[in-house]
Amino acid sequence: MADPANDFIRDYQTLAQQSWDAWTRQLQQQQPPAANPFFTPPAAPVSGNDTLERTLSGLKGYFDWMQNAAAGGAAAQPNDWRQQLQQMFGGSQPFAQAFGGIDSAGAEGFARQWQSWFQAAQHSGFGDLPGAQGPTPAFGLNREQQMQQQAMGAAVLESLQASARYQTLIQRANQQGMQRLQDKLAQHAEPGRQIDSLKALYDLWVDAAEEAYAEIALSDEFREAYAEMINTQMRVRQMQQQQTEQLCQQLGVPTRSEVSSLGERLQALRREFRATQTPSPEAHADEIAALQREVAALKRQLASGTTSKLAPKKAVRAKPAALAVKKSISKAPAKAARKTPAGKARVTAASNSRTSPRKRK
Amino acid sequence: MYTPLRIDPAKALGDIATFQRKLAAGMGHLRGMREPEYANTPRELVYSEDKLKVWHFTGHGKATAKTPLLIVYALVNTVWMTDLQADRSMVRNLLEQGEDVYLIDWGYPDGADRWLTLEDYINGYLDRCVDAVRKRHELDAINLLGICQGGAFSLCYTALHPDKVKNLITMVTPVDFHTPDNMLSHWCRSMDVDLFVDTMGNIPAGLMNYVYLTLKPVRLNQQKYIGMVDILDNPTELENFLRMERWIFDSPDQAGETFRQFIKDFYQGNKLVKGTLEIGGKPVDLGMITQPVLNIFAEQDHLVPPDASRALGKHVGTTDYTQLAFKGGHIGIYVSGRAQREVPPAIHQWLSARD
Repeated sequence: MADPANDFIRDYQTLAQQSWDAWTRQLQQQQPPAANPFFTPPAAPVSGNDTLERTLSGLKGYFDWMQNAAAGGAAAQPNDWRQQLQQMFGGSQPFAQAFGGIDSAGAEGFARQWQSWFQAAQHSGFGDLPGAQGPTPAFGLNREQQMQQQAMGAAVLESLQASARYQTLIQRANQQGMQRLQDKLAQHAEPGRQIDSLKALYDLWVDAAEEAYAEIALSDEFREAYAEMINTQMRVRQMQQQQTEQLCQQLGVPTRSEVSSLGERLQALRREFRATQTPSPEAHADEIAALQREVAALKRQLASGTTSKLAPKKAVRAKPAALAVKKSISKAPAKAARKTPAGKARVTAASNSRTSPRKRK
Repeated sequence: MYTPLRIDPAKALGDIATFQRKLAAGMGHLRGMREPEYANTPRELVYSEDKLKVWHFTGHGKATAKTPLLIVYALVNTVWMTDLQADRSMVRNLLEQGEDVYLIDWGYPDGADRWLTLEDYINGYLDRCVDAVRKRHELDAINLLGICQGGAFSLCYTALHPDKVKNLITMVTPVDFHTPDNMLSHWCRSMDVDLFVDTMGNIPAGLMNYVYLTLKPVRLNQQKYIGMVDILDNPTELENFLRMERWIFDSPDQAGETFRQFIKDFYQGNKLVKGTLEIGGKPVDLGMITQPVLNIFAEQDHLVPPDASRALGKHVGTTDYTQLAFKGGHIGIYVSGRAQREVPPAIHQWLSARD
């Protein structure tokens, strides 16, 4: 015999699923693929948009939870509210997606990246997971490559272990969030303070989850795990870059480090050029002191009423020094900028950066 | 004995249906929506160099303030938070108060900017921007308003070039980076920053945003978008929401060397308050800041904890120090209704007393 209530829920869920699918399709059409925040995986993810996936999965997680909670926990009215809460949250882990988004996105992209890397290594005949069983002596023509692959394998394993430690802490935050939710709910047992909607329960859970997360995130254990996760991932990435550079060198392709090195030299030259245009106050100090001494000497001579013939001579001697100061001040960028319109300033700066290396040659 | 959960199943089903209905209808509202514009308060370009631009806001009437105000924003995100939308624009509000407002748009660094250092930003770019504004007004000194990291830059700049700054305002500015509630600082304390920058070069904006989202992962990754469902049928609120999303995620990469120095010296070394910071080989002594200082911070700031900003009062050399605590968050201090009513008037009042 047909159950009208169940039929309704089935129909409704079908409709809901169609709606979600439509949303996903619509937004995927509108938005270009976004890069993974920590790592750009070599192969595009299924939907091509991690950020969108996280946003939608967050909404979907909430929606699924509401459905499960309404069908299970909210419908039942057990005597023990903790048991009821368990039913509402225990069946699925919708909120793991909110937390999941923060640990899995980077980790998944990273996993995809190194898997792809090792597939390439396997095709090159370097074995399954070089370095996984500890260091092994390498011989012969490909010795260096074998050693590099071993180092890479060890670094990847280290990184995955660090990532697992980090994810363990995230899971702990999730569990402690549930405990905190119970503590918070216990304060709502009085009439008038009871939680009477799924949204209110959700909001209370968010408060509890964020508090639990913040406590763990500010712990020394988390700090070390976080740093280790990033540091180990960077080491792997750096090794990949080094291997890519070697390949590029063999192919005669300019490498990132070569371009970067040129950029560093260029910026140093620009800085040097600016510095020569801007004499430091210390550079003026000697000239000013010399002038002050001469002025003082002139004043003394005038006051003592000695020879009026000497004064012009002193004045003449002082003049070049005074001119020198004026000249160097006029070179200061502040003054120069006053004579230079905005557009010209940009052209000047750009031309500086272009001409400096040529001058060096 | 009562139970804390009193959820009526029928009402719960109704709530689910409502949520689903709003979501389904929302797709229609979103389709065809254009990228929301910022306030775009009328402005003129007065100086540019490399990727940075200094804008002067023309406003509706002549400024009554004698001394111009230059806004120095952080390198993370964009300065348009200060001119987000017409009714939530700190810039527009300051103009209406009579201030003469300039701001620095740092632009979007790329590989060519990888080697820019703090010295290049503070003693180079910022100094030349200040000179450009001083020259336009034929003044020896102007007013600075530094925001967040831009506030830290402004503090360094004022300590190094005290003659060029008349009054200094800092907003949500970290000064003591080692307060116990500073999550960002806590996380990067054990990071190998040299390895990080050597590997990454410039730091991608997406990565920066990712880290910011993980400060409050559930609220920012899920709860915020669940809240969005409630406003999908309200075009104005939806546009405001999307504008904020644009601002949050349309952000620049960080020049690698500057990032390296900033993390090492400020976040890890806490050198600004220890008195050991050097920019371009010159010591930065906050005690050298003797001009009037107005320090504004947000009481619910999750990026720059209030205590990180409050510390400024203990370190500056000025005897004219004012502190303003705003009831809101790091972003709300610019865009909330309360901010519009409280912050720009307070800034103007403080400045006019020292103009």
